Amino acid sequence: MITQRGFTVAFAGVLFLTSGFSFMNFYLTLLGVYLFVGLVVTLPLFAMTANLSGIEVDRRIDKTKVFSGDFLRVRVTIRNTSRRHFDFIEVWDQYPETWILAIGENFMASRIEPGSSIVFSYILQVRMRGRYYLGPTEVVMRDRLGLHYYKRVVKAKTEILVYPTWKDVRRLETIGKQRQLGLMFGAHKTKVVGMGTEFSGFREYVPGDPFRLIDWATTAKKGDIVVKQYEEEKNVQIICMVDTSGSMGNGYPESTKLEYGIRAALLLTYMGLERKDFVGVCIFSDLVHAYVRPSTRQNHMYEVLDALAMAEPSGWSDYETAVSHVTRLTKKRSLFFFLTDLEESPAPLLSAMKAVVANGHNAVVISPFGPWFEAPVGQFGPVEKVLSEAVSEELWERRGKISRALARFGIPVINVGPEDFLPTIIRQYNMAKQRGVALH
Amino acid sequence: MAAFVAMAYIVYRIMSGRWDWGIPYLFITTVFRLLSLLVFFLAVMMVNSLASPMIGGQTLNTLLAGLYNTLILHSWVMEPYGLTSPLANIEEVFASFRGSLLMILNTLWQQTFTFLYFLFAAVGVALFLQSLVRMDHKFVGGAFISIQLILVVAAFREVSSVPNFVQFPSDFFYFLGSNVQLLALISFAYLEISYQMIYSYSVGKPVEEREETLKKQLLALRMATRKQDAIERGETVSSTAMSRSSGATVFSFVREAIERRVVGTSEALENLDAVADVRRLQNFVDEILRNDPAARDELTARAAAPSQGYVVRSTVLGSVFRLGCVVAISFLLMNPSVFVALLSLPPGISDSVELLQPEFILLFLVPMILLFPFVAMLIGSLVAREGEIKPDKEEKEKLRKEKKELKAKKRAAEKARKERSRIRKEVRGEAEEKDEWDRAIEQVKQ
Repeated sequence: MITQRGFTVAFAGVLFLTSGFSFMNFYLTLLGVYLFVGLVVTLPLFAMTANLSGIEVDRRIDKTKVFSGDFLRVRVTIRNTSRRHFDFIEVWDQYPETWILAIGENFMASRIEPGSSIVFSYILQVRMRGRYYLGPTEVVMRDRLGLHYYKRVVKAKTEILVYPTWKDVRRLETIGKQRQLGLMFGAHKTKVVGMGTEFSGFREYVPGDPFRLIDWATTAKKGDIVVKQYEEEKNVQIICMVDTSGSMGNGYPESTKLEYGIRAALLLTYMGLERKDFVGVCIFSDLVHAYVRPSTRQNHMYEVLDALAMAEPSGWSDYETAVSHVTRLTKKRSLFFFLTDLEESPAPLLSAMKAVVANGHNAVVISPFGPWFEAPVGQFGPVEKVLSEAVSEELWERRGKISRALARFGIPVINVGPEDFLPTIIRQYNMAKQRGVALH
Repeated sequence: MAAFVAMAYIVYRIMSGRWDWGIPYLFITTVFRLLSLLVFFLAVMMVNSLASPMIGGQTLNTLLAGLYNTLILHSWVMEPYGLTSPLANIEEVFASFRGSLLMILNTLWQQTFTFLYFLFAAVGVALFLQSLVRMDHKFVGGAFISIQLILVVAAFREVSSVPNFVQFPSDFFYFLGSNVQLLALISFAYLEISYQMIYSYSVGKPVEEREETLKKQLLALRMATRKQDAIERGETVSSTAMSRSSGATVFSFVREAIERRVVGTSEALENLDAVADVRRLQNFVDEILRNDPAARDELTARAAAPSQGYVVRSTVLGSVFRLGCVVAISFLLMNPSVFVALLSLPPGISDSVELLQPEFILLFLVPMILLFPFVAMLIGSLVAREGEIKPDKEEKEKLRKEKKELKAKKRAAEKARKERSRIRKEVRGEAEEKDEWDRAIEQVKQ
């Protein structure tokens, strides 16, 4: 391949050759011939030496799974395993467009001696969750004069799984520490009367109560037999149903309904695990992409992160399939958090909710309202503004209807925007804990 | 540098006697004379054209035209250059225009070529000086072409001192010592050596630049973090020239944070994410540099710096080899006798006068020049593919499995959906003309 510099030489060659022919001048003709011969004379030699099988590229990264917003060091080693000198090589290690090159350069240009190696590294800030690939590495070899080059891709891609951002959790921890209230704004224990150790109160004796529970002092005072009651701490079981249908992908990049839904699911899982609650996550659209059963295992969070990282907005929301999948695998009473924009037909949704309730579960629908996630109305022109308002009204009306319908099953629908998405899920979780919904 | 000076000096000597130093000034004044003449003529024509309909389709009378020329054009220095007295009527204007135009154009033609020699020489020297500082092939190429264009123009003007052969020599050694060959070789050597120098420079430079960039990046990062700490402590922060040059301009990551107005302002604390990003990056870099002694060298790619000795040695050897090849092959291409002897052409062709024309070399030049890329392509096709990547068997298998699983999932979901839909239809009976949302609510009520 001829470089830009090569084309300049060829252009000059044509200029001098044609001038030489036109003015019958051998000097100009000779100069033109020199330029053309000079352009191509070492080309076969270069083609022979530019055998890239002698170049090995190895890319290493510190970890293959990172959180969005974290930093990643990429080390690239180029080895010349042949016995040839490579006069000039440029190595470009490609990284995803959405990521930011924080320190160093993903590019290196040098000469490489036989048997030697060159190592260069750079630091990237990983952005936006999902499955990404580092690479491939492009090696461009130029001849000494920079007239020709060969370009080859010599290193396969390195897969990196980017987890959703951990910043919400970090912020929550920071605020929790600042307030000195222990975990999660102060824990809300779920207390039920039972076999715990903390005293709860008295009640009258009923046949069958163990004699050891009778409080003889109080019985003597009151004249009736009274037994002591104790509180027992229980954990709740939560299932976070994350809708990943195409419409959930609407909104500004990194601020789509789905991204907020994923952040909410992550926060909920973290909070649940911190308080020994069982939290499961289901990722669904027209089929169930992943279901992580409720658990408190040590690596449970990573399983959830894996599932959330891979979520992509596509297809449509098939609530029935998702609910039937989850209820088949989870028999215990659970609290379902549906994170969905409710932009599908109502009948399957209602049918799915019916199935949830019929199986003895509770549910809460936290629904991001589309227009609140999209461009502010102020940025539109007059026509777009009217249309957007009309669409918003239509959607709002639908929501009203579906809320009324779901209220009959005792399922609240909470409309949320970007600002109140995460606070809402924290509030709902705490309320559920306080009420003792879906005890494990 | 020596090659350029030699090339420029030889061209200067060839053109000796033609470097009239007054020509550039004269050329410019002649151009202005021409412009002045055209503007004056147009002005007179326009005034007369506008005035004639008002005075019955006649030209302006002498008095009017004289007044106009004296008061308006003369006072605004619009008369043709060289005229002292005003032209009193339109006929005089026409006569003057006819005489002056041809004379000025002829002068201009004579001066243009000398002016071009000066122009090309000035551009060539300017580009050469630029190339010394910026080491870019565009400046080198530009300087080379500019100097050679002097000879191209001179050849067009049939200047006898421009090197030329009456007949291309068949003796290689005579050819080697000829003026034509010497100038062509020096000119080509300038281009060759300059490109080799650019190569030497470009091999070492990225490493230096990389190190410099890294230093600036780390400094900018450190300063951004310190500034933020100071703000958090409630201290006032001043922006120094150092922080501006090393921080805001070279380091995109910090720059982005600055653009988002989160670093270096009191509002910074409100945007915890961006501030935290800069601080976390600082911690990350500190940790890497602390734990890995080779980290700094890897970030700067210090190991990539090639040995200077080898670069110089190989540059000289490479240039000599290339120059030798170029001269030898060019001689063969330009001197048809070798090929004529090889091809055993009939006397009618081998003695033909056409063989002595410069254009004849095209017959050999084109196939010979194309032969090199062809051979390179053949070699390339044999060796280059070794580096390409193909997905391995395991990877293919994994992809196939993933696809298969997804397909099965979709099939199962579709089947379940159809079943549910059938049951729903049976329960609902005939479809009603009702909003689907209302219908759903109705169903819930039931």
